[in-house]
Amino acid sequence: MCGILAVLGVADVSLAKRSRIIELSRRLRHRGPDWSGLHCHQDCYLAHQRLAIVDPTSGDQPLYNEDKTVVVTVNGEIYNHEQLKAKLTTHKFQTGSDCEVIAHLYEEYGEEFVDMLDGMFAFVLLDTRDKSFIAARDAIGICPLYMGWGLDGSVWFSSEMKALSDDCERFITFPPGHLYSSKTGGLRRWYNPPWFSESIPSTPYNALLLREMFEKSVTKRLMADVPFGVLLSGGLDSSLVASVASRHLEETKVARQWGNKLHTFCIGLKGSPDLKAAREVADYLGTVHHEFNFTVQEGIDALEEVIYHIETYDVTTIRASTPMFLMSRKIKSLGVKMVLSGEGSDEIFGGYLYFHKAPNKKEFHEETCRKIKSLHLYDCLRANKATSAWGVEARVPFLDKSFINVAMDIDPEWKMIRRDLGRIEKWVIRNAFDDEKRPYLPKHILYRQKEQFSDGVGYSWIDGLKDHASQHVSDSMMMNASFVYPENTPTTKEGYYYRMIFEKFFPKPAARSTVPGGPSVACSTAKAVEWDAAWSKNLDPSGRAALGVHDAAYEDTPGEAPAAIDPVADNGLHQAIGESLVKPVAPATAV
Amino acid sequence: MCGILAVLGCGAEAPQQANKRRARVLELSRRLKHRGPDWSGLRQVDDDCYLSHQRLAIIDPASGDQPLYNEDQSVVVAVNGEIYNHKLLRDRLSAAGHSFRTGSDCEVIAHLYEEHGEGFVDMLDGVFSFVLVDTRHGSSSFMAARDAIGVTPLYIGWGIDGTVWISSEMKALHDECEHFDIFPPGHLYSSTSGFTFRQWYNPPWYDETIPSTPYNPAALREAFEKAVTKRLMTDVPFGVLLSGGLDSSLVAAVAARHMSATTTKNAGGNDHGWGTKLHSFCVGLVGSPDLKAAREVADYLGTHHHEFHFTVQDGIDAIEDVIYHTETYDVTTIRASTPMFLMSRKIKSLGVKMVISGEGSDEIFGGYLYFHKAPDKDEFHRETCRKIKALHQYDCLRANKATSAWGLEARVPFLDKEFINVAMDIDPEWKMVRPDLGRIEKWVLRKAFEVEGHPFLPKHILYRQKEQFSDGVGYSWIDGLKAHAASNVTDKMLSNAKFIFPHNTPTTKEAYYYRMIFERLFPEKPAILTVPGGPSVACSTAKAIEWDAQWSANPDPSGRAALGVHLSAYQSESESGEQHVLPDTMAAGAKKPRTIKVTTTTPPGVAIEG
Repeated sequence: MCGILAVLGVADVSLAKRSRIIELSRRLRHRGPDWSGLHCHQDCYLAHQRLAIVDPTSGDQPLYNEDKTVVVTVNGEIYNHEQLKAKLTTHKFQTGSDCEVIAHLYEEYGEEFVDMLDGMFAFVLLDTRDKSFIAARDAIGICPLYMGWGLDGSVWFSSEMKALSDDCERFITFPPGHLYSSKTGGLRRWYNPPWFSESIPSTPYNALLLREMFEKSVTKRLMADVPFGVLLSGGLDSSLVASVASRHLEETKVARQWGNKLHTFCIGLKGSPDLKAAREVADYLGTVHHEFNFTVQEGIDALEEVIYHIETYDVTTIRASTPMFLMSRKIKSLGVKMVLSGEGSDEIFGGYLYFHKAPNKKEFHEETCRKIKSLHLYDCLRANKATSAWGVEARVPFLDKSFINVAMDIDPEWKMIRRDLGRIEKWVIRNAFDDEKRPYLPKHILYRQKEQFSDGVGYSWIDGLKDHASQHVSDSMMMNASFVYPENTPTTKEGYYYRMIFEKFFPKPAARSTVPGGPSVACSTAKAVEWDAAWSKNLDPSGRAALGVHDAAYEDTPGEAPAAIDPVADNGLHQAIGESLVKPVAPATAV
Repeated sequence: MCGILAVLGCGAEAPQQANKRRARVLELSRRLKHRGPDWSGLRQVDDDCYLSHQRLAIIDPASGDQPLYNEDQSVVVAVNGEIYNHKLLRDRLSAAGHSFRTGSDCEVIAHLYEEHGEGFVDMLDGVFSFVLVDTRHGSSSFMAARDAIGVTPLYIGWGIDGTVWISSEMKALHDECEHFDIFPPGHLYSSTSGFTFRQWYNPPWYDETIPSTPYNPAALREAFEKAVTKRLMTDVPFGVLLSGGLDSSLVAAVAARHMSATTTKNAGGNDHGWGTKLHSFCVGLVGSPDLKAAREVADYLGTHHHEFHFTVQDGIDAIEDVIYHTETYDVTTIRASTPMFLMSRKIKSLGVKMVISGEGSDEIFGGYLYFHKAPDKDEFHRETCRKIKALHQYDCLRANKATSAWGLEARVPFLDKEFINVAMDIDPEWKMVRPDLGRIEKWVLRKAFEVEGHPFLPKHILYRQKEQFSDGVGYSWIDGLKAHAASNVTDKMLSNAKFIFPHNTPTTKEAYYYRMIFERLFPEKPAILTVPGGPSVACSTAKAIEWDAQWSANPDPSGRAALGVHLSAYQSESESGEQHVLPDTMAAGAKKPRTIKVTTTTPPGVAIEG
C-alpha cells in the first residue's frame, strides 16, 4: 500500500501551503515508508508516500505520461498491468511501476478506463492540459479513500482521514466503485457488475469453475518483487489462500529471488485456538510458519494507536484489528512487505453464523450483496489499515472482481445451509476444494466450522478489553451516552471507551459519520436482524452469540454461562462469555 | 538503535492516576517509534517507575524484546545500544552463576549490575544509553548511563512533581519536564548517589595532557581493523555509508576484507540474498563529487554499490522533518543531516537495518582543514580533545538521529574506546600537517593503511584531500538552501534576530529559518540550550579561532572557507571560473560552535556578519 493526498484548487499557493501539505502527507507515511513525492502544478498538489512492492528502484511517484501533462498519484496494485501495457503499444513507459498504466490509459481512453483495471486502487489524476482531475476507488473499497472540501473551494482526497480531517470543512468516505470527475463535478459509479442489482441468479453451482477462479485470483496476487507471506488463522478462508499460494509459489518471479517456501503468520494469546489451528495447516502445507504471541496488556496498550490508524469506533472492528495490528509490526520487522489475507469470503458465501437463519434463498442472497457492499467499512478497512500502519500491504484474493462475478452468479440455493444435505456454511467453496486426488487441505480442516476472529486469538482477549473499558467508563457516563453521543450512541462501556478515543483524534462531526452504526446481530446487517424475532431484543456484535449453530460450541463451552441471555439459549452452551449485551454494528451502506 | 523512555519516581500513584500515567507514557514513547519500529514494551514497576522501549531488532530478533531482566525480574533495564563484548561478559557471568533469558546483547547489563553494582559501566565495550530500575531492596532505585562519546543520544529531564525523565530523544520529554538537558556522555546518574552525575569514562586523553608515544602505524591499523570487525556483529542485512572520502573508504575497505569471515557466522537467519558481498551506499545530487568518488572506491573494492540521487527540492521539502528528528538548529549539522536522512529512508526500504559510517576520524586526527593553521602540537592536540568531547552535539547526533529517523542504525568504528585510546596516545607532532615532509591532514591514518602487496585502497584515494560532506553531495545544495531560506526570511526579520533569539542569535537567513522551525517544534527554553552555538571557522571550536587573526573577522561554518589549504579548491575554482568557495565565506557564518564542556554552550560572542 501507499498513501496519497491530493489537494486541488487551493486559494493560497504560498510556500507555507506547500509545507502544510508536506506535513499532512507525512501523516500517511506509515502507509508508504519507502519514499515520498510531491508534484505541484499551479494550485494543485499531488502527494505520495510509497511502499515499494513492484519495481522498488524506479517506481517513485507521482507518475506521468510521456510529456508529463498527465500526473497521477496512486495507491494500488494493478494485476493486469502487463496486458494493459501490451495494448498501449504507442505509449512509452518511464518506470516499471504497475500503476503507470493509469496515466497512459487516461490519455488513450479518457475517463472511461477505470473498469479496465484489474486490481485494487485509489488514485487521483490531474490533467494539466485543461486542469481537470479525476479520482477513483476500486470496486469493493479494498484501498481506503476519503474526500473532503475546504472552505477556500479546494477539493481534497486522501488515503486516510487523518491527512484531511483538520483542513476540510466537510469530508466523506469516497464510495467504492465510484469515480469523481471535476468536469462533471460529481460522483458516478463505474462498477456495475450483474450482482449489484441484487436480483437472484440462477446459474447452477460449478465447483471446478469456482476453484479455478479462486486459484487465478490468488496467483495474480503473487506479483511482487519483495518478500511476502500469508496471514493464516487456520480457518477455512486463510487456509485456502495459503494452500493455493503454496501450490503456485514456484511459478512466480518472487520465489526465484526469495526462496520458494511460503511464509505464513499467525497471532494469538498463548495457547489460543487460532495458533493451534494455524500450526496444523502450516504443518500440512509445509510452510515456514511464524507464530506471534501477544498479551492482553499489549493489546490494550495498543488500542489508542489502533483507533488512530483504522479510524473507526466500531467495536468488532477494533477488537479484530488490534491483534492484526500487532502482528503486522512483527511481520514487517522480518522484512516482509506484503501478505495475502482471507477477507471477503464470509460476505460472498454467507459464512457468518447468522446466515443459518436466512428464511429463503432470496433473503440469503440479498444479505450477501449488502454485506459485500459494506465491506469497505468493516473488514476491508481493518485489513488495509491495520497492516498499512506498519507498511505492510494486505491483498485479498476473495475480493477479485472476476471471482466475485462467478461466486455471486451461483444460484443461492447452493449457498444455503442445509443440514439435511450435509451442507454447513460456505459449503460451495469447501466442496470446490475437496479434491480427493490432490487434496488442498485435510478434510477436517476443509469442513471446520468458523471461529470468529476475535475469539480465535484467545477467549480472554475480549474479556480483557471489557474490564479495561469499565475502568475508564463509569456508570454515570453510560447513563448520559445518548446526550454526549447522539449519533451512533455507544451502548456498552467498551463502545463508549473506543468512542472517546476516536473523538479525541477525530473531533469533527464529519468524522463520526464515516463510521457505520445501527442494530446488528453477530455481524449481520440491520435488515437481517428481522430474520429472527428474538434477535432484535438482544443484539450482539460478535460472532459468539451465533445462536446455537456452531457445533463446536456445544462441545467445548464449559459452564461459563453467558450471563446475558441468548435467544436460542441452551443455558450457556456456547461461547457467549457474557458478550451478549448489545452494541450496534452494521452496514450503513455507502454514501 | 532503539528508543527508550523512562519516567522515574512517580511515587506509587492511585490506580486512576496510574492508568492515566501509563496511557501518557505510551503516547510519549510512540514519539520514538521511528527509532525502534520492530516492537515495543512498557514495564510499570510498582506504579512508581515506567520503563518503555521501542525496539530495532539487530541481534536476536526473535527473543530480545525489551525491557530486559535479571533472573527473578527484580532488576529491569531498558537499553538503546549495542554491546560488542557481550559474549565475553556473558561467559564470565554464566560462570558466576547467572542464567540468561534472551540472546540480546544488552541483557548482560542487568546481570553485570547484580554482580558489580553501579561500577560496571566501563566494562561495556560498545555504544549505549540505558535506564535500570532495581527493586531488590523494597523501594525501587534507579541508575542511567550513556556511552563514552555519546554515540547514542540521551536526554534527561525533571518534572515539577519530582519525577525524573530519561529519553533517547528530546521529543519524548520536552513538553512534560520543567527542565531538561543533554545527558552528558561518559556519565551515569543514579538515585542512590543523591541524584547526581558521575563521570565513569576517564581515559588518559581526557585531561588533555600531551602524549609522547611515537607513531606506530601497524598498531593503529590493527586497532582500527578490530574496531570495524567487532561492529560486523549482526543478525540482519547491513552495509556501509560510502562517500568516497578517506574515512568511509577505509571503513568499507576493512569491512569488505572481513566480510566473508562474518557472514558464515550469521548463518542462523534466512539468507535474504545478501550473500558475502558488502553493500555500500552513497547519496548526492546528480553528478556530485561524492557519487563519483564513492563509485570509484566501490569498483575498487568490488562492493554491491547503491547510488541514490536527490534533488534540491527533495532536500528542502525534508528540512522540517530533519529538524524534528535531529533536534538541532545548528546550520552545518542540518545541511549534512538532510542527505543522510533521505539516504537512510532508501537504505531502509531495501531491508537494511544497520550501516557502518566514518564519523569521528576528523576529530581524532585533526582532519578539518583549519588544523593546517594549528600553531604547535600542544594546541593541535588540545583542539582534537575538545572536538571529540563535543562530538555528541554534532556528528554523533547527526549520524545517529538522521539514520534512526528511519529505523536504521549507524555504527561508528572510529569512536571505538580502544581505538581512541591508541589514536589519542600518539605524539601529536605526527598528526601535524607538514607540507615540508609531505604530510597532509590525517597523514598518520593514511600512512597506517598504506600497505604493499594487498592494498586497502589505491594510493590516490588514500591520499585524497577532504571534501566537506555538504559540498560533496553537490555544490548547488547549499546554494539552494540559502535561496530557499531567503524566500522565507526577510531582511527585517533578520535585523531583529538578536531580540527574538537572544541566545545563539542566528546571523544568516538560513540559520534564522532553521531556528524558526526548531522553535515551533521545541518551544521550551531548555530545548534551545541543548544546541551549541558560538563562533567557529570551518567547524573549529571557539578556542581555535585564535589561531589566525583573520578568522575572527570572518568565521564561516562550512569547510569551504578553509582559507587556501585545500589544493583542489584552488584548481576547481580557477578552472570553472566560478566561486563555490567564495560566496560562502562572504555569506559567512551561520554558526558553528563546538562547545567544549558537555552541558554548557559557549556564548555567541564575536560579531558575525549577517
